[in-house]
Amino acid sequence: MKDDRKKDAQFQLSRRGLLLGAAAGTVGAAVPGMPAQAATADPEDVIDLTGEYPFYGKAEQAGIRTPPQRYTFYMTFDLTTQSRMDLQVLLARWSAAISQLMKGKPVGQIEPARPDAIGFDTGEALNLSPACLTVTVGLGPNVFSDTYGLAGSKPPLLRELKQLPSDAFKPELTGGDLSLQACADDPQVAYHAVRDLARVAKSTGAAATRWTVMGFGRASAGKGQSTPRNLLGFKDGTRNIREDADFDRSVWVKDGPSWQDHGTYQVVRKIQMHIEAWDTDRISDQNAVFGRHKLSGAPLTGTHEFDTPDFHKKDAGGDLVIPATAHIRLAAFENNEGLRILRRSYNYTDGINQYGALDAGLLFISYQSDPAHFERLQTKLGAADRLNEYITHIGSAIFFVPPAPQEGSYIAAQMFADG
Amino acid sequence: MPPINPTTPLAAATGLAVFLALAPAAAAQEAPVKDGVSQVKIEMTSDNGGSCVLDSNSAKAGPVTFSVTNKTAASISELELLSNNRILGEKENLAPGLPTVSFTQTLDGGTYQIYCPGASAELQDFKVTGKAEKATGSTQDILAEGVKGYAHYVDGVVDAMVTSVQRLRADIDAGDLEKARAQYAAARPFYERIESDVAGFMLPGFKATDNAGNLDYLVDMRASNLDPAVGWHGFHAVERDLFEKGEITDETKKLAAELQDNVEKLDKLVSTLDYRPEDLANGAAGLLEEVQTGKITGEEEAYSHIDLVDFAGNIEGAQQAFAFLEPGMQKIDADLTKQVNAQFENVTKLLEGYRDPNELGGYKRYTAELKASDATKLSKAIQALQEPLSRIAEKVATAH
Repeated sequence: MKDDRKKDAQFQLSRRGLLLGAAAGTVGAAVPGMPAQAATADPEDVIDLTGEYPFYGKAEQAGIRTPPQRYTFYMTFDLTTQSRMDLQVLLARWSAAISQLMKGKPVGQIEPARPDAIGFDTGEALNLSPACLTVTVGLGPNVFSDTYGLAGSKPPLLRELKQLPSDAFKPELTGGDLSLQACADDPQVAYHAVRDLARVAKSTGAAATRWTVMGFGRASAGKGQSTPRNLLGFKDGTRNIREDADFDRSVWVKDGPSWQDHGTYQVVRKIQMHIEAWDTDRISDQNAVFGRHKLSGAPLTGTHEFDTPDFHKKDAGGDLVIPATAHIRLAAFENNEGLRILRRSYNYTDGINQYGALDAGLLFISYQSDPAHFERLQTKLGAADRLNEYITHIGSAIFFVPPAPQEGSYIAAQMFADG
Repeated sequence: MPPINPTTPLAAATGLAVFLALAPAAAAQEAPVKDGVSQVKIEMTSDNGGSCVLDSNSAKAGPVTFSVTNKTAASISELELLSNNRILGEKENLAPGLPTVSFTQTLDGGTYQIYCPGASAELQDFKVTGKAEKATGSTQDILAEGVKGYAHYVDGVVDAMVTSVQRLRADIDAGDLEKARAQYAAARPFYERIESDVAGFMLPGFKATDNAGNLDYLVDMRASNLDPAVGWHGFHAVERDLFEKGEITDETKKLAAELQDNVEKLDKLVSTLDYRPEDLANGAAGLLEEVQTGKITGEEEAYSHIDLVDFAGNIEGAQQAFAFLEPGMQKIDADLTKQVNAQFENVTKLLEGYRDPNELGGYKRYTAELKASDATKLSKAIQALQEPLSRIAEKVATAH
């Protein structure tokens, strides 16, 4: 396993210092009080396509704590079978195939010897490196039903999300019984993984594709990564969860049976951004919407990205510097009884919409130990966030993400043994 | 040894033989017999990049049960029992963690092979000594019977098409627009049932690339594959006149006469066709492709909107082809057969919901609204059938 990004936290610290030094150095030469506009490329902004992660393990699935890769291909599926065994076969075939794919190997023959045979693997990832591929499998609420004899195995907190303020879902972008989150540093590797796993789903007769989003430009940071930007041009995930203790506190489930240990709840939202309206909004207003400076990412009460926001600070006129409806104020753990969720989002585009506007946004993916944590945050944001002028939640789904299987087993195998 | 390079196609018989020598040395012992049935256990492991390990590599002639457990081999998902590269029996959907599965075959004396695609040693010998009282019958013979039956079916469909097109021409010659429209809808499904068998026929004296001699073009071309050099012909040229222009002209009558002439030519050619079992399977898969690319898109019947009538014709043709293979397929892979049947049933059930005796051809018109609301549902049902069905050709082509 190669994972420089994760292990080298010290390098991250020195790099940050270096960048800040560079910015400080230009202050005198540029407009006074303004940071440099053309920062040099992030020295850590390089990828190693030969990197790979193991699929099997004793804790959580890869693709949650894993430092976000550059691209994702996310897909949800509908179960098309009533048979418990079909579901078992699908999860077992998926697990075996994912373990191969994450090593950069095909899932079966590409050009079979027999002329009438069809290829198992579709072939487009052949000769490409693993590219840090992770494929994370989620189980939707309908999996845990009497149909499959699994009602008794339901993770205690799994349920459909409540209707929240500003929900504007399109049915064709909502729900699903299974989810695959494939992330890789090469988009073709991520696409190939989901494409071939969708074929396995169809060939077992167990599931059919439901909706999908191709994401790029990771819009969240993991441990040791610099903070990337969403399509509104702002840094996203400055205060994301990074430390093991925070994962234990806020991400992994606690109250389920032992086979669910290191499981977590995945909430996914397709958030359309009205980026052309945003682009013509004056910068002071953009900053006020987020509560941060666009360039540095610093809170409006600070000068550096990681400065702690001062939510009480008022300006000379007596107004809050970070406005009452600013995104970071409403989302901050200080203002939500310490609530934190892991965000692992990606930017997406669907081209040009029917009105002739650029159609783009954020594939928001969060992991938390209780779906209610997401609901509490989104209840506040959906009701009052200034950002709502520029975004619409058009898709949504929830899944339980069981822990990784050990070699010789498959995702959630124990629940079939229990039942 | 390193894993086989997946880009290297195995050269069927001789190429496979190379790997025999490299198979892991299983215990050279005869399988134990329980209740008159030899018991062979096969375990798949991740050793050497994927291994199939037999607990015994020979058995007494007679019934042999192979019990297969995938312990840790993520790269292997199926196993076959072969005799001279012909499939006797197999198991698919094998993956680590799933329960043991088994199949039983009555084997006569001789050398067989266990084929594990994706294993480091894909082929291993399995010897059977003695003589079985009643060896497993030849699946090939059963399939050959089915193929004969299918050839009769195709002949019957084409005969019926000729009659139906003759009627269509008569209605057009009589200038009866309403009757001609109804007869158009009545004639269409015949072609749709067998179109994958008749694609590619060229009239004598034409180059393979010249659509002017391509019978399928002349009979079934549509706006989306129009070759301007050859122009409009066949069913859809007639359809355009009857449903879009809404009138029968001298040109319509010429088109109908030409269509009749061409389907009669087709009738003669079809009776000369020889089929192999895999042709039936590939033909069925081809008909499903037609459903996806022509009917669900509403391209096929752009003027009459009787796409669902054609859809049902394609499905019937595919289902017939599969039905003639089914007795053989039952012997080769009962699970896959069951799965394909279930998916056919799913599709035909879905189609039932669109029946409308008051509409041309007995199905709802495939309007823009119906397409917008239902195309995804229809396409997904077909997709679910395509994956398992596409695996049939290999099985029947290599049947024992």
